[in-house]
Amino acid sequence: MAVIAVALSGCNAVNPPGTAGSARATASPTSGVVSQVFDSTSADSAATSDAAATGYPITVQNCGFAVTVDHRPDRILAIKSTSLELLLALGLADRVVGAAFLDGPVPAQWRDAASSIPVISTGAPSNEPVLGLDPDLIIAGWESNLAPDTAGDRGRLAAAGIASYVSPAACRGASQPKKLTFPMLFSEFEEVGRLLGVREAATALVAQQQEELAAVPKLDRRVTALWWSSGSDTPYVGGGIGAPEMVMNAVGLENIAAGVDQTWTSLGWESIIEDDPDVIILVDASWSSASKKMRLLEQNPATARLTAVREHRFVTIPFPASEAGVRSVDAARDIARQLAALGFGSR
Amino acid sequence: MTAASAMPAVSAHDLSVHGLSYAVRGKMLVDDVSFDVPAGTLTALIGPNGAGKSTLLRLMNGALASNGEGAAVMLGGRDLLRLSRRERAKTVALVEQQSTIEFAVTVREAVALGRIPFRRWWAGAGDDRVIDDALRLAGAGAWADRQVATLSGGERQRVTLARALAQQPRLLLLDEPTNHLDIAAQLDLFALLRDLIDRTHLTVVVALHDLSAALNDSDYVVVLSGGRVVASGVTPDAVDADLIRRVYGVEAAFVADPGSGRPVVIFRRLGDVGD
Amino acid sequence: MTSTRIRLPVPSAPSVAEGAGENPMPATPRASRRSSRLRGGPRAAVYVAAATTLPASVLLAVGIGSAGIGIIDVWQTVVAHLAGMPSPLSPLRDGIVWDIRLTRVLTAAAVGAALAVSGAVMQALTRNVLADPYLLGLSSGASVGAVAALMLGVAIMPTVAAFLGALAALTLTLLLARSLGPISPSRTILAGITVSAFGVAVTSFLIFWNVQGDSYREVLNWLMGSLAGSGWATVAVSWAVTAVIGIPLVLGARVLDAFAFGDTAAASLGIHVTRARWIFLAVVALLTGMAVAVSGAIGFIGLVLPNAARLLVGFRHRLILPLCALAGATFMIWVDTGARTLFAPRELPVGIMTALVGAPIFALVLWRHRSRS
Repeated sequence: MAVIAVALSGCNAVNPPGTAGSARATASPTSGVVSQVFDSTSADSAATSDAAATGYPITVQNCGFAVTVDHRPDRILAIKSTSLELLLALGLADRVVGAAFLDGPVPAQWRDAASSIPVISTGAPSNEPVLGLDPDLIIAGWESNLAPDTAGDRGRLAAAGIASYVSPAACRGASQPKKLTFPMLFSEFEEVGRLLGVREAATALVAQQQEELAAVPKLDRRVTALWWSSGSDTPYVGGGIGAPEMVMNAVGLENIAAGVDQTWTSLGWESIIEDDPDVIILVDASWSSASKKMRLLEQNPATARLTAVREHRFVTIPFPASEAGVRSVDAARDIARQLAALGFGSR
Repeated sequence: MTAASAMPAVSAHDLSVHGLSYAVRGKMLVDDVSFDVPAGTLTALIGPNGAGKSTLLRLMNGALASNGEGAAVMLGGRDLLRLSRRERAKTVALVEQQSTIEFAVTVREAVALGRIPFRRWWAGAGDDRVIDDALRLAGAGAWADRQVATLSGGERQRVTLARALAQQPRLLLLDEPTNHLDIAAQLDLFALLRDLIDRTHLTVVVALHDLSAALNDSDYVVVLSGGRVVASGVTPDAVDADLIRRVYGVEAAFVADPGSGRPVVIFRRLGDVGD
Repeated sequence: MTSTRIRLPVPSAPSVAEGAGENPMPATPRASRRSSRLRGGPRAAVYVAAATTLPASVLLAVGIGSAGIGIIDVWQTVVAHLAGMPSPLSPLRDGIVWDIRLTRVLTAAAVGAALAVSGAVMQALTRNVLADPYLLGLSSGASVGAVAALMLGVAIMPTVAAFLGALAALTLTLLLARSLGPISPSRTILAGITVSAFGVAVTSFLIFWNVQGDSYREVLNWLMGSLAGSGWATVAVSWAVTAVIGIPLVLGARVLDAFAFGDTAAASLGIHVTRARWIFLAVVALLTGMAVAVSGAIGFIGLVLPNAARLLVGFRHRLILPLCALAGATFMIWVDTGARTLFAPRELPVGIMTALVGAPIFALVLWRHRSRS
């Protein structure tokens, strides 16, 4: 059995050796470095840094599901923007046979590369169009994208020779990260790089993102913020354990919904007004634009008195960047830049 | 026998039904029905199932609108069909066949419904005595606080009758009132109606398919078949074996009740004639 | 013949009339079970209690919320606003009390009253204790309108769209019911179920087809019911509609009584059955349409409260409707207070709360209803 190296150069801090789980899907003895936080386990017993392309089959634990990739995937279907953008960032546009359920336009730097990728569905694709594409790997942004009523049950897809992978940040239930961090996100990039046989590209991507992240200026004082995604009657906001919290932490913002152990949560207006955040981050989506939210805040007499509204301290961020992915560091940089423009000092 | 030939001459105070018709999808359920009977009498409306008895009663109280040209139900010199709905409901009351009720309604509440035509939106008091009288007259006073749903068929019939009486009608219509009653209750009912007529000069029209009851207890009889009046007149003269054979398709023999001397009908299937 | 009369109990004779209680009825009456409902003093007490509980509930509920504002401060704030004096609280907290909590509590009261009264009217018209406005497809129609406006970007406000959807659904239901033959309770309900199923399908289709990212969040409130969008505009709309429709409705309530024994009985009591039915159905459409437009589809209120009211005060609608309005308002205020505070700072759609609270109560009502009849 072939083996590949697992050298998570960027993740040593969170993936100390010796915390290995067991690989359920293969009979091979398990050792090596494990990205334990995601409950994902490499099934490889030896490490050779240049075996990536030939190190198949690879088995990883993904959202509690054992995924085995037995050859280098060359026909990849990406569901959701985060999935497609990670593949583009890894330079794999030519191996992506289709994309689906995109949340917004692809960022400019990848637009050319993405132009030839067919979008098979604006919503969550169903089983038949997926099978018709004859993919060998599906990378999905949400667990719900891989269900009998969407792309298909993961077990049945596997039986049909289609491996599937869900962004570990989006795992639900027991596999859900207790609190998402950038190192966890980077280890996802590494894991995908390994599955796709582009370990070097992944390592380079992580290194670059780490560098950018380290360069993000942090606020020099306590600044509270609300991350408002959608919902107008009852706002749907970033909670205390997901990507919004991770990104806010990176710039030194204090999330007023940090106490809610959810990635996203509904939050009553009363508690928002009571906490009176210094800044409001507005997610800009085609279905719930930032300007619409701004208008709502200014129209309601109670929210119009919020400090952030009175002093027009709004930060906007495109929806695809609000989910954990290759644009998360960008989102942090973007927010830091907007905060600086609003006059917040940083150190 | 020709329709109305045996009918008595009527005065302005009597009941005169004229030209009532009702069609559903081109089928005449009631076809140009006319008859006259004196006020203060009990008229039996007889005929086989589907003869149009229930429909005729609904036409007479305006619950259904007659399709007929020049339809009229004259009583006391007034055409009931030209009255306002409310005025009509104060003049004519209908005791329907067993009606079901989903709600928890007490007998008194059910009877109080009969006062609806008398009420205005701003006031409704002063009806208690009428309701008490109606309950008593119908023999339902003992259950005033019971739930209608807990009553037997005969008891419910009395409640429905009490509701109709609470309307203080001049004309009382009853649709197959004996259907769910045992023999004693049937006799009670007719005694009750007779008593009401005696005391209040009420005019009563009862749809029946029990010929014996009709012959025994009515003053006049109107025979319907296929929506048309095929005979009418004084009871029991208006009905003979030939008519019964034509309308009901059975042989009938009349014998005298040893007590009252009134005729009692004995039925046989056609072809089983014994005498 | 005279012999027959002699052995009768003569229930009608004046001499025995006073003794009707001893009247030996041929069909032996079962042990007379007196109804448990209230009359006289105790009944008046129910209305006094309901009429005092409602304003008390408004005052208390305004004092409850995730922001810890003392109840005395809350009341002072309300009084200050009413009297045109400066608020004792900071502008932000003043906004929480006056613009957020008070508008929400007042809207909840009007919506609860409207839904409970609508349910009572629907039950009377269809002679079905299990009926409520939702049975006629009103809520699903309203949801179609609201969701279409939100998802397709139809250029009208979701509230107006919900209202139009409710009216369209009612019209469709009645046209369908009439095309099946003369309008009857069962035909109306069957038509309502048909329209409702269609509306749900259209709503699901719109959501399925258009959902992007987390846009379904915007729709969730319409489907599960929420009063979180309340403001002074919703207070004005909900109270105006409830008062303008509710008061004449109570005054004309005895027409509803006439429907208890069916359409023919109602017609025999002088009611213009067809006209009355259309008027009442239109009234229900307006009340329900308003409620759904303001707060989304909230179930169980229209089902539970009329049944509870009937248990207490009998079936006369002049008694039922005011009690339904008062109790529905109070019920909704407290259920919504639970929805916004139990899991604060998170919020629960109030429709979930009404179902959680309402379903067991309704089971109890059913059980009692059964044991009595």
